[in-house]
Amino acid sequence: MSELSPVNKAIEINGVVIDDTFAEAFGMSGSSLIITADSIKWARICATVMTGFGTSVIGCGAECGIDCELSPNDTPDGRPGVRVLMFGFSPDALTPQVKNRVGQCVLTSPGSACYNGLLGTEQKIALASGVKFFGDGNQTSKKLGNRRFWRIPVMDGEFICEDTVGLTTEAVGGGNMLILGRERKGLLEATEAAVDAIAQVPDVITPFPGGIVRSGSKVGAKYKGMFASTNDAFAPTLRAISKSELSEDTIAVLEVVIDGLTSEAVSNAMRAGLKAVIDIGASKGVTRISAGNYGGKLGQHHYHLQKLVPQ
Amino acid sequence: MSALTLKLKATPDQRLDLSALSPAKVSAMSQGDIERLSIGIGRRSVKLGDVFAISGTPGDTLVIEGSTARLDGIGTELDQGTLIVEGDVGAYAARRMKGGRLDIRGAAGAYLASGLRGGIVTAKSAGDLAGAPKVGERFGMLGGVVVISGDVGERAGDRMRRGTIIAKGRFGASAGSRMMGGTLWTEQGFGAGPGPLMRRGTLIGPSVERLLPTFNDAGLHDLNVLRLISRYFAETLGELAPPALPPKVRRISGDLATIGKGEILLTA
Repeated sequence: MSELSPVNKAIEINGVVIDDTFAEAFGMSGSSLIITADSIKWARICATVMTGFGTSVIGCGAECGIDCELSPNDTPDGRPGVRVLMFGFSPDALTPQVKNRVGQCVLTSPGSACYNGLLGTEQKIALASGVKFFGDGNQTSKKLGNRRFWRIPVMDGEFICEDTVGLTTEAVGGGNMLILGRERKGLLEATEAAVDAIAQVPDVITPFPGGIVRSGSKVGAKYKGMFASTNDAFAPTLRAISKSELSEDTIAVLEVVIDGLTSEAVSNAMRAGLKAVIDIGASKGVTRISAGNYGGKLGQHHYHLQKLVPQ
Repeated sequence: MSALTLKLKATPDQRLDLSALSPAKVSAMSQGDIERLSIGIGRRSVKLGDVFAISGTPGDTLVIEGSTARLDGIGTELDQGTLIVEGDVGAYAARRMKGGRLDIRGAAGAYLASGLRGGIVTAKSAGDLAGAPKVGERFGMLGGVVVISGDVGERAGDRMRRGTIIAKGRFGASAGSRMMGGTLWTEQGFGAGPGPLMRRGTLIGPSVERLLPTFNDAGLHDLNVLRLISRYFAETLGELAPPALPPKVRRISGDLATIGKGEILLTA
């Protein structure tokens, strides 16, 4: 590890420069479902469709992704399952997203069932309050312990949907890292390694396609009605005409955005992602890791890269 | 684990009402106060110390030794702790119990778990009207789990709304009468005419002695809820849990003399 510049106090580890900066993240509302099916294939299909179009709250209403796959021993009905996480600006914004996605994507998927994946929270979403009426009066419920499960008749038997699902307002959205490289293919591979490492961390998702976003944004735009526009400081082709953050050898920048049910989970995920990139980054053409922030004025959660890199 | 033990001195000549006794209540009392505790006997009341020899330390467990079928109301409104009964019990054991555990290591009389709301109740056998309400009450069992290692009498689960009664043996005639929810689960089968006037709820077992004419065969089904139920009770009851249910069952819908949303699930 060596210090590069006394001005920005960047450090270099394993040939990768780590900026003296932080990722700025926001408090969000989060929820989690366990989706089971007759096979892991169909649990995956259902979870993938259910979390689709869930990259950014700005345009999608919710940020969604798969947290992990669950063995039959870890699901309420003893079948293979997938745990998904969903995040929204507020409980009011998240609730219709969760309910609509269950109604359109889980109810419809063969053999699926849907359970609370976030137990023990005080706040809850009335998950089945709409979808149970698909039973047209023939729905019944079974209460086991403190949990109620609705049985909704469908063409392949019954759709089981838990009555409520946990909701937390302690969730964090927008943990991030910007990975810069001198070669696009290698940069993508290094960033994939970061996403794979983060996938092993519980209670977090990386909601963008494959966990990676190439269209990092800044707030606002010159056009009326645009909430966000291209992050010109990190767009290589604008290097000559904007206040660029990029050196001449930077060909591309990829970002990993992390949402977690707790701030600690996001920290753990960033730590895992940074280590993965640093471990293989230089050999893949990665030159530098930075992070997106708004000067620390907007987000309540700050994740300083240099505090999270392996020492 | 600290336990207070009450040993019956002699079989009472009248029925004895022990509904005033609970581990939580006696745990905060001195031995003298416990001995002076008033309990009902017929139309009179007697002191607990006159009927039982009391030993041990008050705590989260209360043991009643030498119990007979003349002791009624054991475990009434129990909400925490464990009550262990060595011997038989009379009527209304676990009446309106809310939590904790009542282990009856003998036979239970009529109205076991009447109005049960929570907790776990076990017994070797149960009399008629297990889980039923008292006359004039709207609902029977409203939660909790009852596990009977032998047979259960007639009309178990009458007006039951939630909760589960599991019998390793058989349920007598008319199990699930006027049922509005909850589950009756037998490993040996149901007696004649289960589910008269049941609106909702689930009866699970390998056979039925005779079905009522107001129940219709809905055919074979692969119901995911059975996996959920099996798994829940395996985790909650451990070795007390019955074997996991088979994936396919025959569903009999009824009672069609009412709204017909109840079901008998035949596992064999």
